[in-house]
Amino acid sequence: MSSMPTSLTASRVAVVSGKGGVGKTTVAAALAIAAARAGKHVLLAEMEDREAFAPIFGLRKLAYTEQTIAPNITGLTVEADEALVDYLRMFYGIPTISRALMRTKAVEFATQTAPGLKDILLIGKVKEAESRRHEGRHVFDLIVVDAPPTGRLPRFLDAPRAVVELVKGGQIRTQAQGVLDMVTDPKRCQVVMVAQPEEMPVRETEETIETLSKMGIALGPIVMNGVWPEIRSLGKEPEQTLRAAASDAGVDLTDEAISVLAGVATTHARRARNQRKAMKSLANDVSLPQIELPYLFTEHMGRPEVEQLSQILAECVT
Amino acid sequence: MNVDELLLDRHIIVCTGSGGVGKTTSAAALALRAAELGRRTIVCTIDPARRLAQSMGLEQLGGDPKLVPVTTGRSKSKGELWAMMLDMKSTFDQMVLEMTTPERAEKIFENPFYHHISSTLAGTQEYMAMEKLWELHEEGRWELIVIDTPPTRSALDFLDAPRRLTDFLEGRFLRLMMLPYMKAGKTGLRMINFGTRVALRAVTRITGSDLFADVADFFQQFEGMYETFKQRSKRVRELLQARRTAFLVVTAPTEPSLKEARYFSERLTDEKIPLGGVIVNRAHAVPGVAGLEDPNSLAARAGDGVLADALRTYGEWRAVSLREERLLEGTLGAIKDTPVWRVPDLADDVHDLKALREIGQLLADAAR
Repeated sequence: MSSMPTSLTASRVAVVSGKGGVGKTTVAAALAIAAARAGKHVLLAEMEDREAFAPIFGLRKLAYTEQTIAPNITGLTVEADEALVDYLRMFYGIPTISRALMRTKAVEFATQTAPGLKDILLIGKVKEAESRRHEGRHVFDLIVVDAPPTGRLPRFLDAPRAVVELVKGGQIRTQAQGVLDMVTDPKRCQVVMVAQPEEMPVRETEETIETLSKMGIALGPIVMNGVWPEIRSLGKEPEQTLRAAASDAGVDLTDEAISVLAGVATTHARRARNQRKAMKSLANDVSLPQIELPYLFTEHMGRPEVEQLSQILAECVT
Repeated sequence: MNVDELLLDRHIIVCTGSGGVGKTTSAAALALRAAELGRRTIVCTIDPARRLAQSMGLEQLGGDPKLVPVTTGRSKSKGELWAMMLDMKSTFDQMVLEMTTPERAEKIFENPFYHHISSTLAGTQEYMAMEKLWELHEEGRWELIVIDTPPTRSALDFLDAPRRLTDFLEGRFLRLMMLPYMKAGKTGLRMINFGTRVALRAVTRITGSDLFADVADFFQQFEGMYETFKQRSKRVRELLQARRTAFLVVTAPTEPSLKEARYFSERLTDEKIPLGGVIVNRAHAVPGVAGLEDPNSLAARAGDGVLADALRTYGEWRAVSLREERLLEGTLGAIKDTPVWRVPDLADDVHDLKALREIGQLLADAAR
């Protein structure tokens, strides 16, 4: 595994996705922090109003307007309607259209009727940031996208192709083609899958990777989140093993304590072993490197926890 | 009311919750337990992992109910477990067929825009889940229907989405926008205000007008069906509010998930939808034990070995357990009279009937 390139920043855009609940938002934030610490100018973009990043960075919520949320990190929530107004302003240059649009709910209409239009507006905004330059230099070295979960990801990334096929002409086709070019260029865009070392998330990760590969989308390393620490086995007679060890060490433990300890340790060891199996099975099926992030024994993912994970991801920032 | 009483008493159980909290597994485990308690049960899942289908002894789940080979142990039991997957498109097709003439239905099926609506429009999946629920209820074959809900970003989407879809289909604005493309509606264009006209032109230029023609055609074909749509939506709502229905909110023991569970529970109460209980999956309940108050200093004394490992591991999980308890009390304590069932985190993945049965048992044994 170590011989493979494990760069999370091989492309300017890192689309971070995973099955719901595996911690993709945490990983996206940790990656942004790691890259920013390495001196990169990072844009951390969440798709639509998820309000997931804000608490990590001590904010109430992110806005559609880009704002600095940490040193070297710009935060942004991409909203489809705002993106459409942006887009119209860019191509038609008439701000009054925008206001009329907002008033007449035309955005809602347009995004609901045209297949994939909403998604393309969202990724379109990412593309705009990706190609934005100031004095000849890219404004952002890395754009971390907190993308929709794996269930919706292929359709999300497929939107530009669908629009190119469906819409025969006009600005939107040109725009869609531009986005499609970015999404399918491994130098510009890669998907970072976040998984948890359990059978079902691993299975879903494999399926998504297969689908994305067929779509010509590059994949970065897989981030394996929430890996439990392995502990030494207690053998077939856990209570006896513990009792003997306690007596050797001169630690006095009641029968109840021994029994609870044995239960907790056995369950833990078994689960940790299952996790290793799931990771191995993924490694067998998919030739992508895996980056392990430890389970943090907390139900709360705040800034300190994300910082801790970012230290590990820092090794994969190039 | 405990889980078994609920399973014996209700006709419909709806499992809701945000994605990734074990909703589908909970639904399957509850349905299996109900079947083993003697009820003719069907579980309708949205997007089961293939593994879960296999766990119920089915190669894969399809749109038609399949009998799950369950050996209930009690040979006299009349309980049965059926399972099916929601086929969104065919449910929509079926509904259109019932609502209109075959010729019109055919035209609708041919329309590219219909394909978009029936497969991707936000709210369609939720609407179709409810439509399927109604169908299963009408069929009358099952004493208990357990329905899983789509994996939405927020559990609330599920309540709002059907309304969004019906609003969309009968939307005044939409039809106004489509007027220039509708044969009969040309004169109406004059009535549109300036802002809309500008917007309309802009949107047309962006999307290309062939798409709009499809959309206009779709809405013409759908003319007259909006009312039916609304009525169906209303009658499902009544079914959801019935006394023999229970919503179960499934959550993980994490702060965002629990907060959402509380919010959703309150919303259900506001909407007069009966809340049966909250299922907290993957909870860590590690008891405090006399003599183990300070496991880390004991571990330091125990040196480097299995005992130290066990003590440190206990310490970590005990702390998690305490934090979860406080979090549960803090977020769910406010929901009065609603049972909260905690299901412990299991060492092994759930992929057979035995594991589903075990979860059912844990649910039945769980107390607030």
